[in-house]
Amino acid sequence: MKKIVLVAFLLSLSFVLVACNSKPKLRILNWGEYINDEVVEKFEKEYGIDIVISVADSNELFYSKIKSKTTAFDIVIPSDYMIEKMVEENMLLQLDYSLLPNRSLVTYMDGVNQIFASMTETTFARSGLNINYNNYAVPYFWGTFGIIYNNRVEGLEEALEEHGWAVYFEPNNYFSSARRGMYAVPQFAYASAMMYLGNNPNEYNSALLAQTKTVLQNSNFVEWGNDTLKRNIEANNLDMAFTYTGDYLDRLYIQLSEGKTLEEVRATFDIYIPDTTMVFIDSMVIPNTAKNIEGAHQFINFLLDPENAALNAEVVGYAVAFEEAFDIILSYLNSEDIEMKNWATANSIYYNMEIERTYYPLTSLQPSIIDSISTMIDQVRTG
Amino acid sequence: MEKQYASIKDYGYRDFTKLNKIYSIIKKLLVILIVLGLYLSIIVIAIQSLNESRNLSSFTRLSFQWYLNIVREQELMNAIKNTFLVSSIATVLATFLGTFFAIGLYALSKKSRVLWMLLNNVPILNADIVTGFSLMLMFRLLMVVFPNIFGLFTLVMAHLFFTMPFVILSVMPKLKETDPNLMDAALDLGIKPYKALIKVVIPAIKAGIFSGMLLALTMSIDDFVISYFNTGSGFDNLSIWIYAVIGRRNLTPSVYAFSTLLTLFTMIGLLTYQFLQRQKKGKNNEKNSTSSVSSQS
Amino acid sequence: MNKEFRVLSRPYMVWLSVLVFFPILAMIFIGFSNLDSSVSIGEISLSFSHLNILTQSSTIIAFRNSLIFALATTFICFIFGYFIAYEIKLSKFKNKFVLLTLVILPMWSNLILRTESLANIMSENNILKSLLGFNIFGNIAGTWMAVLFGLVFTYMPFMILSVYTALEKIDFALEEAALDLGLTPLKKFWKVVFPLSLKGVVTGSIMVFLPTLAGFAIPKILSRGQIVFIGNIIDNKFIYTNYNHGALLAVVILIFILGSILLITKFDKEGETLL
Repeated sequence: MKKIVLVAFLLSLSFVLVACNSKPKLRILNWGEYINDEVVEKFEKEYGIDIVISVADSNELFYSKIKSKTTAFDIVIPSDYMIEKMVEENMLLQLDYSLLPNRSLVTYMDGVNQIFASMTETTFARSGLNINYNNYAVPYFWGTFGIIYNNRVEGLEEALEEHGWAVYFEPNNYFSSARRGMYAVPQFAYASAMMYLGNNPNEYNSALLAQTKTVLQNSNFVEWGNDTLKRNIEANNLDMAFTYTGDYLDRLYIQLSEGKTLEEVRATFDIYIPDTTMVFIDSMVIPNTAKNIEGAHQFINFLLDPENAALNAEVVGYAVAFEEAFDIILSYLNSEDIEMKNWATANSIYYNMEIERTYYPLTSLQPSIIDSISTMIDQVRTG
Repeated sequence: MEKQYASIKDYGYRDFTKLNKIYSIIKKLLVILIVLGLYLSIIVIAIQSLNESRNLSSFTRLSFQWYLNIVREQELMNAIKNTFLVSSIATVLATFLGTFFAIGLYALSKKSRVLWMLLNNVPILNADIVTGFSLMLMFRLLMVVFPNIFGLFTLVMAHLFFTMPFVILSVMPKLKETDPNLMDAALDLGIKPYKALIKVVIPAIKAGIFSGMLLALTMSIDDFVISYFNTGSGFDNLSIWIYAVIGRRNLTPSVYAFSTLLTLFTMIGLLTYQFLQRQKKGKNNEKNSTSSVSSQS
Repeated sequence: MNKEFRVLSRPYMVWLSVLVFFPILAMIFIGFSNLDSSVSIGEISLSFSHLNILTQSSTIIAFRNSLIFALATTFICFIFGYFIAYEIKLSKFKNKFVLLTLVILPMWSNLILRTESLANIMSENNILKSLLGFNIFGNIAGTWMAVLFGLVFTYMPFMILSVYTALEKIDFALEEAALDLGLTPLKKFWKVVFPLSLKGVVTGSIMVFLPTLAGFAIPKILSRGQIVFIGNIIDNKFIYTNYNHGALLAVVILIFILGSILLITKFDKEGETLL
């Protein structure tokens, strides 16, 4: 007994000693597996800073971590609507662009600028504040939402191309036996139903709430999930689901890296991006609880380098936000390396910014509205 | 033919041998099925860890690459390290403190002992999210004095909060079983009370302490909700990491590999322990053939 | 035991009071006030408006789901868990410690991983099917059966451990005496063994019942989000920063828990047999 205690104690002590390390640290709160390890290593080597990454799986958890002030993260990577909320509640520091010289190396994509502009617009409509979000955030990745579908179902691809949202939301008219899944974030479910109804997904009133409730109830979802959606469609356990385009590319990259061709993968499952769809942008921000503000700027500056941004995109299925980085990716279209070529092709197909689409970023809704929406979703789910 | 003598059946004896045979077959089958049910998820995790493909829904080829890959997954290694750090500190502290608290509670008058043992149950029974959230609120108050408190410290404290009651609950019955004369005899021999405690009482309740430690470790290693609310920046344990990664992105199969290794090593450890005990016993039996020494409790 | 040792319990008393009482009071306060992230200290006022969450159809259905599943899980765990505990007690294998550790060993693997892997093999196309060529579960992912299976086999070790602890203390001589008096094995079990192990059953039941009632991960994953438990609702309330509703629901669960603790004390005046 004594020996066991002693051994356990020594073991834990040695861990403490190992954990102690004199290098300066940069603490990042990120989504799980949302960064290329090579980028981390390169940064650590260049700047002599240790990066410590914590992960969470929702914007709301990011928010509660920062809001509770129990943590001291130097960089957080939340999505658009959460950044609006954080700025309004004074949780973020303004960026010092004199420390971000690489900003001049990149041009933000049009879509990115649109999202930032629309964030400013919705904030103004809500609270009368005129905020330039470039002062707080530098884009990390962005992307669209779409309907990921099982291409083994005959005719589904054509039907989606022709009728769009209706195929997904009207099981009475299209593919009544198809297994449909919905993303288990109340605001996503609400927004998708709103877009199907032809509305701006950020509008809200009780009549719209009732309408979307009927739509969602009639869709007979067999699954409310998150990343399980894409895996189930890949495994032929589900036929359609509303999800991030990047979720699809994640699985695509994995299958490509295991030796499948792009055509083979697309023949089993693919994603349809509607003409009117939601977009999101995840941006790097510095919370006001940050300790290593200089290091945070160094890191942001590092990722403003198009080379590094492109390197980061190699393992993450979302779209880069800088035109220069996108050009680097496209330069691999004629590459000898099949994997790089496929990567570039996938980017050119799914993040083709030349197609005219209406993009809606989600806005930060009032807590009472979010609560009404999530109660509505709970009611749909409990039947 | 008319019965002349009463058979033993008439005296109430019934022959169960046939029934017993069927019963014992069903019994064995049921035991196997239940154990299979308990271990089903572990078996599936092991299969997933041996799959060459990252695809969880079809097995392509046998491969040990994910086992080799464990050390290369920096975030995973970090989470494993943190889990071991937190769980070992919390388990050791909980076992140590819990034992002494249990002795203290046992020395109380019966009425107040019942009251405090009742309260002792609350952390075990409370919903994790309520415990996690309320502990965070309490530790938040301490931040006024110690601004950097969140991290290893709060995590260990939170784990202590829900593991210590398990230790106390396992130790208490053993304390009751010990002979009160044992302590008195030690005192009569002139040993100081606290020395007697360590020399006499602790060895007597060893088994309870050990099972308490086992439970504490089990609870601590698997906790997600309470840990999530009480960790600081950059101090994720394995559960937090798995939960965050599985929610949106693809979990590396190395996690399954690690999980399988943990189970395997524990099993091997147990078997070795069992084997050593047997050998010891065998030797004892040779020396002393009249009575078998049972070293277990 | 020596009264001198009473002092050893003092720190734990302080610890429990601070970490059990105050949080409960805080939860009740949050549940009945307008306190949230945007309200400053001066504007706090009491309000009972959050009580409407208790009457919403989704809350009631979720609570009903939790309750039914918790009861069913407890009952099934009792039947099978008791059986296994009894077999362990009867087994000729001397080192019971090894057996008990084997029972609890699956719990050392991460709960989410275990549940996800169950969800995996319960769907139509899965990794076991690709190996064996057939489905051992059929296609039960997303149904109540999947959830029940997951709950039962996740929490059964608690039942086995508690029942075994109670069984261990039963004197074997009693059983032999019962047989000598002419009881059939079944009657012997019902009249002698079972009543003596009842304490273990009660504690085991409560240890299975409560995590099932308050849990959210297993139903969320195995029902594919289709069966909502009260734990899922509370979890969502906290995640979407509606602390008032979350706290209120948590308090309701707590009342349930205190009720069950009272139940334990009814069976066991010492309140110490939990485990």
